[in-house]
Amino acid sequence: MKKSEVTRRKLIKTAGTLALTSALPMPFIRRASAATELVHWSPLAASDGEVWAQMIQNFNEAHKDKGVSIRMEVVNWDDYTTKVLASAAAGEAPDFGWNTDPRPSFVRDGLLVPLNELAANSGLDLSDFSEFSINASKFPNYGGDELFQVPLDLMSIQPEVNTAHVAEAGLDINDWPDDGDGLLEWAKAMTKRDGDTVVRSGIMMTGSGVQPTVTWGIVAEQMGFQRISNDFTSVCVNPEAGKAAMQWVLDLFDTHRVSTRDVTDRYKAFGTGQGSIFWTGPWTINGYLAQELPFATKLFPKVGEKRVTYFERGALELYLQSDPSRYQATMDAVTWLSDNSFLWCTEGRGASPRQSILGRSDYKTAGAPWDVRGAFVDGLEFATAIADFPIINGADFNIYSGGNFLAKTLELVWAGQTSIDDAMTKLQDGWGESLEEG
Amino acid sequence: MLSYRSQKPPVDWAAYAFVALFTAPFLLFNIAPIVFTAYLSFMKWGIFGPPKYVGVDNYRKALENDQILISFQNILLYGLTIVPGVLVLGLMAALYVNNRWPLSSVARVCFFSPYVVSATVIGLVWVWILDTQFGIANHYLGYLGIDNIPWLTSTDWSLYGVGITSIWWDMGLAFVLILAGLQDIPGDMYDAAEIDGATRWQRFRYVTLPMLRPVLSMVITLQLIATLRIFSQVYVMTSGGPASSSTSVLYEIYTVAIRNQKFGLGAAVSMMLFVVILLVTFLSRRLIREQST
Repeated sequence: MKKSEVTRRKLIKTAGTLALTSALPMPFIRRASAATELVHWSPLAASDGEVWAQMIQNFNEAHKDKGVSIRMEVVNWDDYTTKVLASAAAGEAPDFGWNTDPRPSFVRDGLLVPLNELAANSGLDLSDFSEFSINASKFPNYGGDELFQVPLDLMSIQPEVNTAHVAEAGLDINDWPDDGDGLLEWAKAMTKRDGDTVVRSGIMMTGSGVQPTVTWGIVAEQMGFQRISNDFTSVCVNPEAGKAAMQWVLDLFDTHRVSTRDVTDRYKAFGTGQGSIFWTGPWTINGYLAQELPFATKLFPKVGEKRVTYFERGALELYLQSDPSRYQATMDAVTWLSDNSFLWCTEGRGASPRQSILGRSDYKTAGAPWDVRGAFVDGLEFATAIADFPIINGADFNIYSGGNFLAKTLELVWAGQTSIDDAMTKLQDGWGESLEEG
Repeated sequence: MLSYRSQKPPVDWAAYAFVALFTAPFLLFNIAPIVFTAYLSFMKWGIFGPPKYVGVDNYRKALENDQILISFQNILLYGLTIVPGVLVLGLMAALYVNNRWPLSSVARVCFFSPYVVSATVIGLVWVWILDTQFGIANHYLGYLGIDNIPWLTSTDWSLYGVGITSIWWDMGLAFVLILAGLQDIPGDMYDAAEIDGATRWQRFRYVTLPMLRPVLSMVITLQLIATLRIFSQVYVMTSGGPASSSTSVLYEIYTVAIRNQKFGLGAAVSMMLFVVILLVTFLSRRLIREQST
């Protein structure tokens, strides 16, 4: 009988090899293979998400034989920050992500990779970007003059108007009102009621969540309210204006009765004709065009002393890796995506921060028709109400939120469970504490 | 004579190995997270970087937070709404099928099928059913002369809107458990009661209910625990609103910890919920036991 060839020495050797192989970190395996696969996380899941997926596919096709590809994973927006933090803590962060909010704590904790040198090596032409977008991608308090994000798109919130309702009310879309009184007249003309109940909102609103919060944020700034003073030393500058804005939102429901709280999904409600004027962002365009909703986009009227609307900037950022040799390949990919973002900034989302794209002769004719896309771009001129501030607890100040401290405080006002004065006092106290953390 | 050494029973390593198959994952995935959560509840931690000890500060903040206190109040209200609803409807459904009333085989599938659908799907469907203006619930209530009810958009109704959805979803499990309990009751007992002249109601009251008590007790306990941990329906249907009227403790933990990265505070609220569930379960079990004796 043949003796077994599996000796103890062989067994230990084999087991050791297997254990060593399985313990090797993934980046090593990635490096060892011929191709580099960059992992990208994106929270984009609305109709703009399809265009972003196309951008990634375009990159992969352009780099088919160049040994680099991008694997995109869509991450729920609400969980995005936490998942990035958790993955980075575990040493498994994605190589880069698309994000809107400035996160100074990411810079302070070393989670974001400084980009100055990498961008220079990649040949990214920073002089092509608007100065504002570049400055917004730096965090002087924590990162000096380093760039930490590459601005990709700029957007504003503007009113989408159902043109069928406009015609039905005998209005002319070209006479879109310029001020608050005119806006209310239009809203009243298009509102439908059954007795006292609003069954079609002239102005699309929800009883809680993002829509009334962002409306308050925009109108409050128009009326002269500031969440944080210019020198970042105090909160709630001109509280009376903030209170007046709360009253303005409440009046939509209770005095003018042009909005109903009985809407659960504002996107679907506007898409199914339950509302006539809906201020939102360009991420909705493709979806509404696909369902053949008759609509045009107009500029946000001047409700208060000055015309202001919400501003948001999308940017790409590189996350801390256990293998720093991946940074340059990632930066090269980000540079390619930025250089080739014409599709993204015409069909996808908002306007471009790059002069070379804005200056193209086909910029206004490419993508969605200008009457539904143009206002989001033209309106950037007065889009100065930023979502949140570059401070550690900036998220508490975010006016585009349905669940943060601000939204939860205002929700009680919309539901009639607290007074406007008490809500403002609560904002002053809560934001005061938030600002103290730096 | 055998020596002391030889009298010592051999260690049965195989038994330990079999026990470890359960014990190791249980310790790793059940006990360790509880211990870690308890530890975190005394820390300030945002995932990245080391936790910082803050004593009972997180518990103080939780008790001073209106939102969190409302969420505890809400889960008790959910418990008072959903548990009786599930129990009564589950019992009625089980009796219907057990008595082989018309179409009982179809009814069996209908009663149980919601339970196998995910809570997210149930939530999305019921958002449409309960829509104030266009939902079929209000449409049919309109035939009874009832005005549109703002099921999910009013602070007075949202908790009941979510509650009704949860009853519809959870009833399937209660139905199956109670049906199994009904089928375990010996037919002799009903025969004896019938010979003694018991009416249909008396047979139900004095035979069925007492014999079902252990099953009903289990259904109540399981449903109570599930209801106190309600999350998916709240997340999908109302996001806890309007004005926190339908929020739950788990939803607040999610908001605090996952959205706002305040893991210490989230852990403190989790420990508070842990204690509440223990207390409520203990009390309900005790109450049922006392009634049965």
